Amino acid sequence: MRMVFQSRWRSALVASLCVGISIAAIGGCGGSKPASNGPSSASGGSAAQGGSAAVASSTAKPATFSLAWSEYPSWSIFGVADEVGLINGKEGEMGSIEKKYNVDIKLILATYDSCITLYGNSQADAVCITNIDILGAAGSRNSVGILPTSTSAGADACIVAGINSLEELAGKPTRGLEKSVSQYCFERCLEKLSKNPADFPFSQMDPEQAALAFQGKNDGINSIMVWNPFVMQSIRSRSDSKVLFSSETIPEEIIDMVVVGKDSLSKPGGEAFAKAVVETFYLMNKRMADPKTSDETLVGIGARFAKLELDDMKTIVQQTKFFSEPTDAVRLFADERFQKETMPLVSKFCVKYGLTTTPVELSFGDGKGLMDFSSKYVSGYLDSLKK
Amino acid sequence: MIRRSIPTWLFIALAVAGVVVLLVSYELLSQRQTRINPKQTTIPSFEKLGDGVKRMFARQGSEENPKPAMFWTDMRATLWRLLFGLGVGVLASIVVGVMMGAYRWIEAPLSPIVMFLSKIPPTGMMPIYFAIAGTDQRMFTSMVALGIFFSMTQAIYQSVRDNVTDEAINKAYTLGASESEVIYEVIWKQILPNVIDCIRAQIGPAMIFLIAAEMVVSDAGLGYQIRMQSRVLNMNIVFVYLFVLGMIGVVAEYSLLWLRHRMCPWFKGA
Repeated sequence: MRMVFQSRWRSALVASLCVGISIAAIGGCGGSKPASNGPSSASGGSAAQGGSAAVASSTAKPATFSLAWSEYPSWSIFGVADEVGLINGKEGEMGSIEKKYNVDIKLILATYDSCITLYGNSQADAVCITNIDILGAAGSRNSVGILPTSTSAGADACIVAGINSLEELAGKPTRGLEKSVSQYCFERCLEKLSKNPADFPFSQMDPEQAALAFQGKNDGINSIMVWNPFVMQSIRSRSDSKVLFSSETIPEEIIDMVVVGKDSLSKPGGEAFAKAVVETFYLMNKRMADPKTSDETLVGIGARFAKLELDDMKTIVQQTKFFSEPTDAVRLFADERFQKETMPLVSKFCVKYGLTTTPVELSFGDGKGLMDFSSKYVSGYLDSLKK
Repeated sequence: MIRRSIPTWLFIALAVAGVVVLLVSYELLSQRQTRINPKQTTIPSFEKLGDGVKRMFARQGSEENPKPAMFWTDMRATLWRLLFGLGVGVLASIVVGVMMGAYRWIEAPLSPIVMFLSKIPPTGMMPIYFAIAGTDQRMFTSMVALGIFFSMTQAIYQSVRDNVTDEAINKAYTLGASESEVIYEVIWKQILPNVIDCIRAQIGPAMIFLIAAEMVVSDAGLGYQIRMQSRVLNMNIVFVYLFVLGMIGVVAEYSLLWLRHRMCPWFKGA
């Protein structure tokens, strides 16, 4: 009968598991002490690293910095920059901008929420992220927003079918990425439209899958809150669908940007990396503005953005307003509304949904906050243009 | 020398030592990460893991309207989906597998299809499940059930062909057994331990399919919470959830071994 449990290795396994669990419990009490000694030695280490940053010369082998990006109009630009040779996304290979700043940029393409996890766990030096989702990550890694790339003006939308008004939507589930920019946009738009977000259930579904399910007319999926390209695809493929509301209602609240970890910035080459990213972005914007290269660049972005064609891309860049001039970026980060209204609202949202336990300390250029919005690198680029 | 036995006490001591070394190196790794970035959450210390456990069991909802803690909501959702999906999948594959092994005219049309479909990774078929089965319980059930159905049917059918001898079947016929009696008394009883072993082998894949589906579409469940918490960088909760997944696997394994032993004490299998 009990022969199964008498076999030696099995009893040993059970015994070791029990012991393991009890050790884990004991370890829980003892673990705190050494951990609290960490910060002092850590700050010493990073100061030393910061000191050597200045020493790094152009002859030394360039340091590698990684940028995690997901497919989005103002981020796919980095993918196109790789294609036209401004930067080379492969580790150890250099494009023209990389050579100029003597820094090696490694591009990591992943889905949006994988990018956040990569960045938050220090597997990437920089990330393309929105001003909403970065606050969660800044709770575990001090961060600097170096470059606002675009703002959503219709690119995040609530798309419905068989629902004609906000009154009809109340009580029916909307699918989208929970605790993220999508849910923020959903709730803020409802507030602006004088509704109580609590009456509108929001439930978790991967945005790509939600769009697919909506397009496939799946039962129970009649309302989705997604971003482009899913907005455009969903509207296209279902004639009975329409945009109920979109980020047009909340102009310049959703900011797409590039964020670098403070630890990475203070590494040798970190500052050069930030400058290189900024310059790449503006050079690509010039290519988009120049009639000679404009279409070609848009097609390039489209190829890295849900394989969209030129005409679609022209619509897309209207729903996603690029901060195409350095002055736009400087203006935004200094904007009173951004500092005093938008970001505190975002911060409240993050606490409400447990992205952070306490409001993240924000700062705008002085570097004091856990999350700093700094136009230092953009200004630096502006100055270099004047010379 | 290969396979030379060692004393029991030494075996147990080494097993315990393995676990201790694992835990100590984990703690050292965590401290090293903390020295690099004091605010890191990637490799949480045991203290932080304790905080994670507290949050998992923290009360939800208001005083008047209390809701179960996060962990119980997720466990209930996942276990229900898993058990229901496994139940449907196992029953269906037993019926089809035994029939295929018993009757050539059922085997002939089905075996190439079952063989081929058992080779397609069910996670790759997820978009098809969404399109056909929606996003509710039906989708999770079909995901798990169909995910294990083809390979399990294949295994059961093989088991009927390999483990039930013609002599046993002929003997039963000679003693006057009806066709259904042969299927139940001879075939079913002979393959029962193999069926239980098949279920043991399928629990791992079933959990993979379920967790993958929950990561994509669900608002409760272990997979949902792992994706959500890893995005908001609460790795202390993610690690505990992974531990729980491991424990579910261990408990299922031992329960089935016990069941096999209970129901087929004659069986001397792996």
